[in-house]
Amino acid sequence: MTAIQAGPGGGRLAMDAADRERRPSRLWIYVLLTFGIVLMVGPFLWMLLGSLKPQAEFLVSTPTFLPKNPTTDNFGRLFSNLDFPRFFFNSAVVAVAVTVGNVLFCPMLGYALAKLQWRGKRLIMGLVLATLMVPAGITLIPNFVLMANLGLVNTYPGLILPFLVGPFGVFLTRQFMYGIPDELLEAARIDGANEWRTFWTIVLPITAPVLATLGILTFLGSWNSFIYPLVMAQQEAMYTLPVALATFATGQYQADHGMLMAGSVVLVLPVLIIFILFQRWITEGIATTGLKG
Amino acid sequence: MRFAPRAAALLAAFALTFGLTACGTNSGSNAPAGSSGTSGSSAAGGSPAAGGSGGTSANLTGELTVWAMGNEGTKLKTLADAFVKANPGVKVSVTPVDWGQAVAKLQTAIAGGTTPDVSQMGTDMMGQFGATGAFEPVPADFDKSQFFEGAWNTNIVNGAAVGVPWYVETRLLYYRKDIATKAGITSPPATWDDLKAMAKALQSKGGAKYGISLGTKNWQEYFPFLWSNGGDVVDASGKPALNSPQAVEALTFYDSFFKEGLTPKSVPEGFDITPAFVKGDYPMFFSGPWHLGLIKDAGGAGFDDKWAIAPMPKKTSATSFVGGSNIVVYKNSKNKDAAWAFVKFLSDPTTQALWYKTVTDLPAVQSAWQDPAVASDPNVKMFGDQLKDTKAQPATATWSELSSAINDILEKMTTGGIEPQAAADQMQQAAESIGVK
Amino acid sequence: MTAPALSRRSVAQRGASPVAARRGWRRDLTGWAFAAPFVVLFGVFMALPIIASFVLSFTSFGLRDLQNPIGASFVGVDNYARLLSDAKFWKALGNTFYFVGVGVPLTLGIGLLIASALSRGITRFRTAYRVGFYLPVITSIVAIAVVWRFLLNPDIGLINVLLRNVGIDGPNWLADKTLAMPAIIAMAVWRNLGFAMVVFIAGLQAIPAVLYEASSIDGAGRWASFRYVTLPMLRPTILFMLVITTIGYLQLFEEPFVMTGGGPLDATLSVTMYMFQQGFAFFKQGYASAIAYVLFVIVAVIAFLQFRFLREDA
Repeated sequence: MTAIQAGPGGGRLAMDAADRERRPSRLWIYVLLTFGIVLMVGPFLWMLLGSLKPQAEFLVSTPTFLPKNPTTDNFGRLFSNLDFPRFFFNSAVVAVAVTVGNVLFCPMLGYALAKLQWRGKRLIMGLVLATLMVPAGITLIPNFVLMANLGLVNTYPGLILPFLVGPFGVFLTRQFMYGIPDELLEAARIDGANEWRTFWTIVLPITAPVLATLGILTFLGSWNSFIYPLVMAQQEAMYTLPVALATFATGQYQADHGMLMAGSVVLVLPVLIIFILFQRWITEGIATTGLKG
Repeated sequence: MRFAPRAAALLAAFALTFGLTACGTNSGSNAPAGSSGTSGSSAAGGSPAAGGSGGTSANLTGELTVWAMGNEGTKLKTLADAFVKANPGVKVSVTPVDWGQAVAKLQTAIAGGTTPDVSQMGTDMMGQFGATGAFEPVPADFDKSQFFEGAWNTNIVNGAAVGVPWYVETRLLYYRKDIATKAGITSPPATWDDLKAMAKALQSKGGAKYGISLGTKNWQEYFPFLWSNGGDVVDASGKPALNSPQAVEALTFYDSFFKEGLTPKSVPEGFDITPAFVKGDYPMFFSGPWHLGLIKDAGGAGFDDKWAIAPMPKKTSATSFVGGSNIVVYKNSKNKDAAWAFVKFLSDPTTQALWYKTVTDLPAVQSAWQDPAVASDPNVKMFGDQLKDTKAQPATATWSELSSAINDILEKMTTGGIEPQAAADQMQQAAESIGVK
Repeated sequence: MTAPALSRRSVAQRGASPVAARRGWRRDLTGWAFAAPFVVLFGVFMALPIIASFVLSFTSFGLRDLQNPIGASFVGVDNYARLLSDAKFWKALGNTFYFVGVGVPLTLGIGLLIASALSRGITRFRTAYRVGFYLPVITSIVAIAVVWRFLLNPDIGLINVLLRNVGIDGPNWLADKTLAMPAIIAMAVWRNLGFAMVVFIAGLQAIPAVLYEASSIDGAGRWASFRYVTLPMLRPTILFMLVITTIGYLQLFEEPFVMTGGGPLDATLSVTMYMFQQGFAFFKQGYASAIAYVLFVIVAVIAFLQFRFLREDA
């Protein structure tokens, strides 16, 4: 999108000169960044190492970094106390479904808001905007009552439906789609394609980076989701991973520190992996959104 | 700070906090956890009126859903299996719920009409959830004399019993015998004056960092002093009495520990008394039976004779706090016969003793205390003795809000902002405006 | 100087004229067809509960209404009136504004700094740095609370241990009335700057390199090019992040809830926490709804003002 190449000869020279200017100071940038990274990642490293420590090593008066007697006992207890595959499966099902829903339905509305003219467009836009500002949590009870009346409590649909679409996705896609040149769409229309065809074959492919971004962010959010799955599930079999961890891994009278750390590691790992794999999409995705608009 | 994730994370925090500051801990704050008010207004029409204490085992059928919290939630299945063995026609499914989320979960369940048949209910939750009318009144023929009186009374909402005690806990004084000996004290404190003197001695002659650990904002730690001085939250006519002369005296005594530096004015979040007690920084604290096991584990070999427990120190009485959990049946239940049979099963002395062996919860049924498993441990026996003189908070619908206000005022006092008389007056004001009904 | 990418956008915004030439009703139908799945799902599962809770704010919905929500009694604007005289609410509001006022600039400022360093300052290990800085963002509060509780522990926490090595006797951060909120702000900034960083990296990458070349030819140093090239080009991105971060921070909840429970003495009580407490601990859902919608109005007004003052004339 922003592929502005270096100009001919003169420009290139200028860049080299500037480069040479910057080179000595690059070292201190690395130093600062490394310091920053240590601050960011340090705690997680500590948490990771902590998951390998027996309980006794947490109760000492001066904290340690490395475990003296590393043990996989915490993880062992975590997996034996919890029906791990079940909870992981529940979390995965819900997160995937919610992601698919958002990636499918939000661009449709985003496209309609960005490129089509229709009555009521502004109203919908306003409603979506307003929703972003309502404090989360206040709708918990009305939502649950609704689910109960629909008979969806303790079911997968109950866990998924309220989140199948979201305002954030609409914004992101709308912003991006503003930047799609109309000439492209017109060409398709002249060729006889209807709107849906145009959307499917032209718009979506162009939007791919943003959709990937939306997908990742949605997945991340749904994975860590807690209270809604908590109240929706009436039976243990429907608990998602965070709910199960909170229920089984936190000691009642004294924190089971090791197991808590192990649980936290387990919770973070999948999202971390997904993020590492797809993080380039996010930057590209946001870049191509044209947030300047 | 993101959108979809925020709600999740928002509420993850909610639940986690409750989980980490679960009821019964010795930490300072009394998180607004626990009480889920289930409103049980009249059951859907057509369901048969709750029978007496359930049918006989031969003809019990159907399904039973039971919710249990915390430790009990994870271990209840063993008891449920025993019940199913005796009543093969019934299917029992136990759902564990973490204490922290119990409130929200039960609230939403009542609102949506999806309550279980039976659930555990913290004694400090009875008032609020009872007021919603969600509970089925206990059948008249249920034998209440088998329980400790203090425990039974926690089930009385608007004059009627809407639950049955399951297990109880009460608070005793844990103290470091060895540090006391070093300070020249050979017997545990019997009176308030003894307690104060001992705390001073432990700190000065015994060399401990502090004399005692007292909560800065925990009504469960202050109230035993209020009760032992003859005061109470409400007077005989049911009106708030939080600034009675007895209350002011009790508050002054409580505050004096903070003023004299015998206990710190602020405690870090998530503070764990166990390692601090073992280390000797805090040689005295009040807690329930769960710390017996925790201290044993943390102290390791050879620590056993360094500490002991003692009954509440006496002023006009030596009253402690009684907590624990009750069992309730919901009006919406479609299998009340099996539900009450299950309740009866849990109250059976043999089951109560078995439950003690499983999770060391103290039996609410008095005769269960004669079981050798319970009777053999002298420490446990001391808890049993204290259970004869206990009180609990009033079972009001407003308890969550009122206790939170009381905790706030306690914090203001212990951190040195206001004097005990002002604290008492503010508590009285709070009780009057929030109400004690 | 307009880069080709920009001109593409201006054409689109000048009015997609070919599209506008469609016939009226068919146009509407198409639009609604695309909107339908979202609107239906949204209407049922988002709009309905939101409207319900808004209605609730005018009732005294509480304990006794749980079983029969429709039967709650109307009290008009009573809840809102009571809010005005509720000292705790005003304290929570003050705390929240304090948090936003300090937290937003810090988050965006540091995020931008790091983004700059990562985009133009260095060339190696970029991915590693990006993942590292973003790590706190994707971690659930469950794990983060564990770590930060430890960090801030007055006796054995890392921060105070480090301070002790330098000879400073560190305070009990979370129990100190004046230091608790700064500690919370630090935690929130730590947690969220990764997201700001990612967005700013994207924005920075979109700035054409020729601009920097041109400015360095003109003799501008590092700092000047940052001021006169980077910042203006980044303005829409900054606006976007400003609005999003402010909206998010105005709804501060997790950090104080998990770390301090609103204390000490309500020093870290936020509006959303107060709303939760009233609604879920005290069962006063009607009152809680009123709090929520007051917050909503505040959020909307601030977002609107931000747009007004910072928006470019596109």
